[in-house]
Amino acid sequence: MTTQTSTRALLVALPLATALATGASARDLTIVGFGGGYQDTAREHLFQAYAAHAGIGVTDDVYNGEMARIYAMVEAGDVTWDIVMVEAPDMVRGCEDGVFAPIDWSVVNADKLIPSGVHDCGVGATGFGVTVFYDTERSPEGPKDMADFWDIEQFPGMRSMRTGPRMSLEAALMADGVAREDVYTVLATPEGVDRAFAKLDEIKDHIVWWTAGAQPLQFVGSGEVEYAMAYTGRILRAIDEENMPYNMLWNTLIYSIDFWTVVEGSPHTEEAMRMIDWITDADQLRNQAAVWPISPANIEVNSDPEVQAANPGMVLNHADTGLFIDTEFWIEYGDDLEARFAAWAAN
Amino acid sequence: MDRNSRLAVLLVAPLLLLMIVGFVLPLGTTAFKAVDNPEVTAALPRTTAALGQWSGDGLPDEAVYAAFVEDLLSPQDNRVFGGLVRRLNFEQTGMRSIISGARRAAEGLQAPYSESLPALNAVWGEPEVWQLLQTHSNPYTATYLLRAMDLRMAADGSIIPVDPQQAIFRELFLRTFIISLWVTVFAVLLGYPTAWFLSTLRGRAEGLALLCVLVPFWISILVRSTAWFIVLQREGPINAALLATGVIDTPQAIIFTRPAVYLAMVHVLLPFQILPLLAVMKRIRPDYVRAAASLGARPWQQFLLVYLPMTMPGVAAGAVMVLMLSVGFYITPVLVGGLRDQMVSYYIAYFTNTSINLGMAAALSLLLLILTGLLVVAAARVLPGLNLGARV
Repeated sequence: MTTQTSTRALLVALPLATALATGASARDLTIVGFGGGYQDTAREHLFQAYAAHAGIGVTDDVYNGEMARIYAMVEAGDVTWDIVMVEAPDMVRGCEDGVFAPIDWSVVNADKLIPSGVHDCGVGATGFGVTVFYDTERSPEGPKDMADFWDIEQFPGMRSMRTGPRMSLEAALMADGVAREDVYTVLATPEGVDRAFAKLDEIKDHIVWWTAGAQPLQFVGSGEVEYAMAYTGRILRAIDEENMPYNMLWNTLIYSIDFWTVVEGSPHTEEAMRMIDWITDADQLRNQAAVWPISPANIEVNSDPEVQAANPGMVLNHADTGLFIDTEFWIEYGDDLEARFAAWAAN
Repeated sequence: MDRNSRLAVLLVAPLLLLMIVGFVLPLGTTAFKAVDNPEVTAALPRTTAALGQWSGDGLPDEAVYAAFVEDLLSPQDNRVFGGLVRRLNFEQTGMRSIISGARRAAEGLQAPYSESLPALNAVWGEPEVWQLLQTHSNPYTATYLLRAMDLRMAADGSIIPVDPQQAIFRELFLRTFIISLWVTVFAVLLGYPTAWFLSTLRGRAEGLALLCVLVPFWISILVRSTAWFIVLQREGPINAALLATGVIDTPQAIIFTRPAVYLAMVHVLLPFQILPLLAVMKRIRPDYVRAAASLGARPWQQFLLVYLPMTMPGVAAGAVMVLMLSVGFYITPVLVGGLRDQMVSYYIAYFTNTSINLGMAAALSLLLLILTGLLVVAAARVLPGLNLGARV
């Protein structure tokens, strides 16, 4: 009787234990990005398309660029994200710090990418940027450039900017009349940093800081703020799909490239390399470009006149009026400026 | 140990275990993290050993330089090196590129390294960088706790205030306690009459009124704070009502201001004031106040001399609870306040999630805990009728 019971218990327990054990090791490949319309379209045309192509399970998740989550994962040895989209300075620093795996360039084809999209630990994904935008119904005569965005006399009301020094200090110097090509030369000097913070002081009481990309759109939509700097993709979607009467100022563009990275210690490292290669291929990106104004680091798609004509919002095609974020500058001065920004914003 | 005392130990064992796992262990870890300093020793073991022999005057000798280059060249996990770089860069700006530059170039360096390293970057020919490495090869550091008080250690070991542009935490702690005190004052002022009114109700009315206090109490803080975000918007119901009644003629910015933080925090914490007060008031027999009246006390005397002193234990218990909870508030100020209305917990989260500096997060937590403890002890002395179980 006892033997029978324990045998039966074992029969029940064994498959359960196996299921639990395999369930733990065989989680789906997880790819993480900044969300929004980009990710909604990437989910269908890149992520799930790859899942079908390779016959594996792929899930995606959203974050706001909090590197600490990735550092904690790697340090704890419990890596639950495999592929993560990160901003360039974070990618380079994370590479130095050993939280991103080196890219296997024998799997990923580097020739298809723009030169700045190739890095030891990162594969160029898509250009991204922020510009000033506003509701033309509420402000028919809105600001025309960054200096106007700072002009609280002529354009009263609240502003919204992304929390943190990156892009805020550049915007401040642009508003202060520094030419685009000189922004980082000025910002690399202590006087330049003081100048940028002094300029931010001018509108400090008029800024609502955002952390998630959806917030500036909500703030302008609800009338909480009049003028905001937001990700171009989000603004374009509001204009194109929701028919919002927004105007965006391309001459305030501050942009860079986001990278695909593989988290060090991911159990899916090899699959991740194959997936990154596949989702940066022209065929897949064309499908996504048909429904979303991506600006991929893939040369063929990005320079295709047809894609360009269909997507006037591709940031890499606004290079002539935009400021390219200097990755090296932010690696060098990032920690220091983060600390100073935190102290400045709190007081 | 006889059988009885063994039984007694067994009986309290679950409680003891809970105390250790839920209280002593996390607190101990936090306190340890606030002074832990393993990064330099882990990444540069040979250099650390060699620097142990160095007096700290002038430049270290070739042995230290050679040990340093050997450490740079030894194949080790990038993560260990990343930890070193972040640690030193926190102490002194620019160390990231200095160390990373040396590591990249280490392969091509020729002995004697006391000449080739300074040739690569003049910094290596100055004592300061070696003093920095020596100081931080100590397994413990006061850096984080000092920084949490806007202080830092100068190269010669004296403690000096940080650069005013980096100073943030004294003001932050002060702000945290000022906001918490005001929230407590508002909670007492609003909670007292509410609790009194509740205590006078009987039957169905009492149950219904109590439900009105309890239902919000049961709803998650996140939900209530988000609701305030919606209510206080420029185009939200409060602005709409004020516009409609003609009190204001343009919508006012209420959200992301200090008053919004007070409003939402008081609302969230009010039940913690009302419930202990109600419990005390319920036990006070109306006869006392009637007796005072029959002896000729005027209404204000009945209240001030008879009723209020009897309810003080409830006021004190509620106030201490509200105060302690508000000191650690995070999500409500984040949702309805601006960057200048954030409290210490915001920066604990900032150092944990954004800046990846667990030492700072631990130091701030520890300091907040100590200051809150002191505040409660002080409150226990000042507030009459508050009995925290034992005399403190």
